[in-house]
Amino acid sequence: MLGEERRIESASLAGRAEGRLASPDIRDEFGLETIEMNMGPQHPAMHGLLRLILELDGETVVRCDPVMGYLHRSKEKISENRMYPAVIPITDRLDYFNNIAMEYGYCLAVEDLLDVEIPPRAEALRALTSEISRLMSHIPSIGFLLLELGAFTPILYAFRERERMQSIMEAITGARMMFHYIRIGGVKADLPEGIAEQIWEYIEGLEQRVQPDFVDLIEGNEIFIARTKGVGQLTQDKAIDMGLTGPPLRCTGVDFDVRKHYPYGWYPNLDFDVITDEAGDVEAAYRVRIGEIRQSIRMIRQILENLPEGEVMGDLGRRLRPREGDGFGRVESARGEYAVHVVSDGSDTPYRVHYRTPCTVNLQLLQEIVPGHYLPDIMPIMGLVDPVSGAWDK
Amino acid sequence: MAVTLPGGDLEGRLESYLEGLRNRHGLEDGGVEGNVARVVVKPADVPAVLATAREHLGVLHLSFITVVDREGSFELTYELLDLRGGRVRVKTSVEGEEPVVPTVTGVYPTANWHEREAYDMFGIAFAGHPDLRRLYMWQDHFDHHPLLKSFEISTKRTFEGLR
Repeated sequence: MLGEERRIESASLAGRAEGRLASPDIRDEFGLETIEMNMGPQHPAMHGLLRLILELDGETVVRCDPVMGYLHRSKEKISENRMYPAVIPITDRLDYFNNIAMEYGYCLAVEDLLDVEIPPRAEALRALTSEISRLMSHIPSIGFLLLELGAFTPILYAFRERERMQSIMEAITGARMMFHYIRIGGVKADLPEGIAEQIWEYIEGLEQRVQPDFVDLIEGNEIFIARTKGVGQLTQDKAIDMGLTGPPLRCTGVDFDVRKHYPYGWYPNLDFDVITDEAGDVEAAYRVRIGEIRQSIRMIRQILENLPEGEVMGDLGRRLRPREGDGFGRVESARGEYAVHVVSDGSDTPYRVHYRTPCTVNLQLLQEIVPGHYLPDIMPIMGLVDPVSGAWDK
Repeated sequence: MAVTLPGGDLEGRLESYLEGLRNRHGLEDGGVEGNVARVVVKPADVPAVLATAREHLGVLHLSFITVVDREGSFELTYELLDLRGGRVRVKTSVEGEEPVVPTVTGVYPTANWHEREAYDMFGIAFAGHPDLRRLYMWQDHFDHHPLLKSFEISTKRTFEGLR
């Protein structure tokens, strides 16, 4: 049980609890007390394996304590005992909804320690697969948000799109989920015959479908607005303090995007906008994701229009031994800034690999923002953060 | 309420970060490499250096904290971003088996879980941390810190003799 002092402090964090909490007088009179409750790790609506220890006053949350580690596989330790190229499939399993970004960050970090020139076609293919992967992540995340609010149709539409993109990625990479496509020095293989036309055709169709299936169906809906508007209200200061990146930061109006402000790979050649919104609530994050879907479609078009010719793999020695020192790679994953720090001692295996996954950092938001909300508001807030179990647990 | 992010040319900004830190603190080493202003400080100075970076120089984002076990000492890297192309990398090194480093949660609240992770994986205590519990591993009955080099795993492989 929390002391009265801490309860008030915790609830004032979100500034929504006023009037929702039972007043101390009533509590004394009726002998009410707060109830501690577990939500997860095997809750049907929970994103992956997250356990929230909640303290409830009636239906209002006064304390939220996320407990992680149910999917911890110690990827950093495993990475220390594998040769450099063999770590890439390990990174695939971090954020299993946006794998390409995870591979990309690690390869950038190792390439930071190697003097290898990446062929332009490989850079373009990396950007192409990254953007397809972002679509594969953003579209289902909108579906999941709606599923948790009780709407079943959007998840079917979302997985219809994801399924088609998985088929495209299967043709490019050979796998449907764990791609292992981006390699140190380039990419695994060139595009197969005819796939560029298929992507183009699919993207044209997707652009037509975004408006009716993901905007018109959802945006004006009264229930959607009631459940998301003003829920998880963030300010810019709070978002910056919590170290948020990605859509949760951009929905408050801070225009930070790694692709724009710390450019890497093929992105300086592409023309795109950083989507921001002012409201800073769940609905705003949804709007930001819709905007980013449109920007990704725009980028994929530009990449396919100007796809350079040539090799897809740089010139690497047979045995990979990066020079001693620190290598850093930073990419914009679908959930925010993903950074990898590789420390090399000049041998075959990394001395230390550190993954900064956006999900871990963004999840800190829960303990700050959930107090003061009603219990059912937790699910839309999880939709705002949109964490992936594999990524926050490493 | 609105956050102001720095602007202007990147190289000048990085120089100004380095100068600003050098003027206010005793640095062991410092320099600008590429788009990184890199400084090495004593562990006790870390919160003050980061406070200068955040409050006076406007470097608003703590990206991550990496700990490297150098077998005998620990190397800590604090990577800061100004969100507009500039990076500040603060390095420090502590000796000993169970070292203590002052917390930076007072400067960057986001450091909370980064430090909990470092404590969990390496056993580094962060003095003044509001909530120093393990982040991933079991809270009780587990006395190990898995990312220490002394924590051996059963499937450790060596690649010596491989051509």
